[in-house]
Amino acid sequence: MNAPIHTPRETPPTSQVPDPQRLTRGYWYWRAKRQRWSLLIEKRALVVNTVLLMVLVLCSLASLAFGTLSIPMPDVLLTLQGEGTSMHTFVIEELRWPRLLAGGLAGAAFALAGCLMQTLARNRLATPGIIGIDNAATAFAVASVVGTGISLAPPAMALTGAAVATALAFGLAGATGTRGYRFIIAGLAIGAISGALTQVMLSSVALDDANAAYPWTVGSLNARAPNSVHALTIGLAVSYVLSLFLNRALATLQLPEAVTTSLGTHPGRVRLMGLILSVLLTGLAVSVAGPVGLIALLAPELARTVSRPGSIPLTASFLAGAILMVVSDLAGRLVLAPLEIPVGIVTALAGSPYLLWILLRKSPDINR
Amino acid sequence: MKAKRHYIITWSLLLLVCLTSLLFGAGTLEIKQAFAVLTGQGSAEARFVVMELRLPRLAIGTITGLALGVAGALLQTLTRNPLAEPGLLGVSAGSAFAVSLAILFGASTATLTTLVSQAGALAGCALVIAATRIQGVGQDPVRLVLAGATLTALLLSLTSLLMLIDQRAADEIRFWITGSIAGKSWDQLTATLPTMLLAGAIVIGAVKPLASLALGERVAIGLGHRPGLIRLMVIIAVALLVGGATALAGPLVFVGLVVPFVARALGGADIRKTLWLCLPIGPAIIIAADTLSRLLVVPSEMPLGVITALIGAPVLMLIIRARRIPTL
Repeated sequence: MNAPIHTPRETPPTSQVPDPQRLTRGYWYWRAKRQRWSLLIEKRALVVNTVLLMVLVLCSLASLAFGTLSIPMPDVLLTLQGEGTSMHTFVIEELRWPRLLAGGLAGAAFALAGCLMQTLARNRLATPGIIGIDNAATAFAVASVVGTGISLAPPAMALTGAAVATALAFGLAGATGTRGYRFIIAGLAIGAISGALTQVMLSSVALDDANAAYPWTVGSLNARAPNSVHALTIGLAVSYVLSLFLNRALATLQLPEAVTTSLGTHPGRVRLMGLILSVLLTGLAVSVAGPVGLIALLAPELARTVSRPGSIPLTASFLAGAILMVVSDLAGRLVLAPLEIPVGIVTALAGSPYLLWILLRKSPDINR
Repeated sequence: MKAKRHYIITWSLLLLVCLTSLLFGAGTLEIKQAFAVLTGQGSAEARFVVMELRLPRLAIGTITGLALGVAGALLQTLTRNPLAEPGLLGVSAGSAFAVSLAILFGASTATLTTLVSQAGALAGCALVIAATRIQGVGQDPVRLVLAGATLTALLLSLTSLLMLIDQRAADEIRFWITGSIAGKSWDQLTATLPTMLLAGAIVIGAVKPLASLALGERVAIGLGHRPGLIRLMVIIAVALLVGGATALAGPLVFVGLVVPFVARALGGADIRKTLWLCLPIGPAIIIAADTLSRLLVVPSEMPLGVITALIGAPVLMLIIRARRIPTL
């Protein structure tokens, strides 16, 4: 009675049988004996990340060598092996190495947070710096420094601020969602309010308190408490590993929601986890470097241009962020020497023209 | 009838705000003493505080509010974008950068500062108009604002760079850049007056053609106007107003957004009605914000720009979160 709606083909097409050679082109793969675990490494990512790592090492060496006192490269290497002169040892180990470490880690954290947030908001401009999360973290940290009766330590307050601003930005997204420009403008307003609140606090307290809070308000690698660098190191390591586990689920977020769900991913849960990671990273990075938000846009962009289209370049963003931060800091120290340009101004000067270029192109697709 | 009520309410509100601004302050002067000065009595000290400290502030606040409100309304009608605000789009930042550059090269007279500031604002306006001409950006109100905010960030970081280079200039720029109308003298006000009056004359001449331009370019041509000329006149007026206001009070963001927003909410989209309503609303908002900035953190003062940002940013959110952004 019932006529078949479509006639099945006599022979299954050959492409239904996966050809292992074709599927794994561009990858190295390894599979455990019982086939429960396998490892798939993308060749291009490996090459890109190795190159980025080498660039990072070179930039770091340059950052150790150049400054008010230039140290020749062989001496830098000797000092790193523990055989330098006492002055070189002092300059490198006491002054430049902590700064390099703080800058590199903060840059990596900003970039990783930016990459995660871009991916889960599916919006290229949705990075912590642009939607005001940096500013909110700064405002909360300043509130703690100037003593408004809140007893949490500044880094913890920075984290709280980042969380509040993120909740506000994504919570208010509501019907219009996080794609498109409106989400970004709403974030801009959150940033403006936070910045104004910071000013209110700075202008309402005694000068000494205001001076103590000042380093928080400019993006600079000067005068950081060592324990916030330690917190950043641990937080960054944990978040990086967790985000690698999240990578596969994040990749499926790019598909329509129904497809994501049918692939066994819970979209809401993945977004929440990604957001928590990026809040953690942003808060910790702000507590080390202040609001240097444009790194979170620039580094993932850079990483995406060198990575395979469609992939989520977490590691490449991580490395690119560290490179950008180290280079910006180095440029800030050298260009107007002996004056030092805060790293936040360097990144703003370098990053804003790029952002303008994204915005003014004929058909910019900011949605991912 | 309804329109008349709006005018009565807004003007009486302005009067009330002005009175409050004269009576309340951060100092130890009592309200009774300040009131005595207004009725022609009062001690010499009270006279000094009210007449020499608070009155210039009131006057400067009035001029700044007028200029920014009218400039915002004009720019929004011209770009057909309810979010086009001189502060957000980088016009104020352009004049702030120009002024910082002038201070760096040793300028300190008020007249020169005003002219430099207006030139910077004109450059900023030119950039905005150029951006609206680019296919895509001009049609998308939100994208234009984002580009403007980026331009603002770029110019402000260039200004910070200038401040780093010259410490003397930095001290002069630092207070001014956050926006404040405190401690200004009558000289600074009179220095901006001629160009402000010129801008006012241009606005009066251009408002009717601009209203017809709002109906579409062809309608304007059909009514005997020249769109290119109207645009040029409006841009020059906006540059003169914003540049003058920035020279007086520093770059104030969000004022040009909030004032026309309120005016349109009261009086509808007609640019002529909007401008009439901007006249009382602009000064009222600035003066109220300035009075607040004096009272909130007694005995010190808060920059005026902070208060305007706290008022304006939520309004921006309100507009952006509306289901449909109204086009002009």
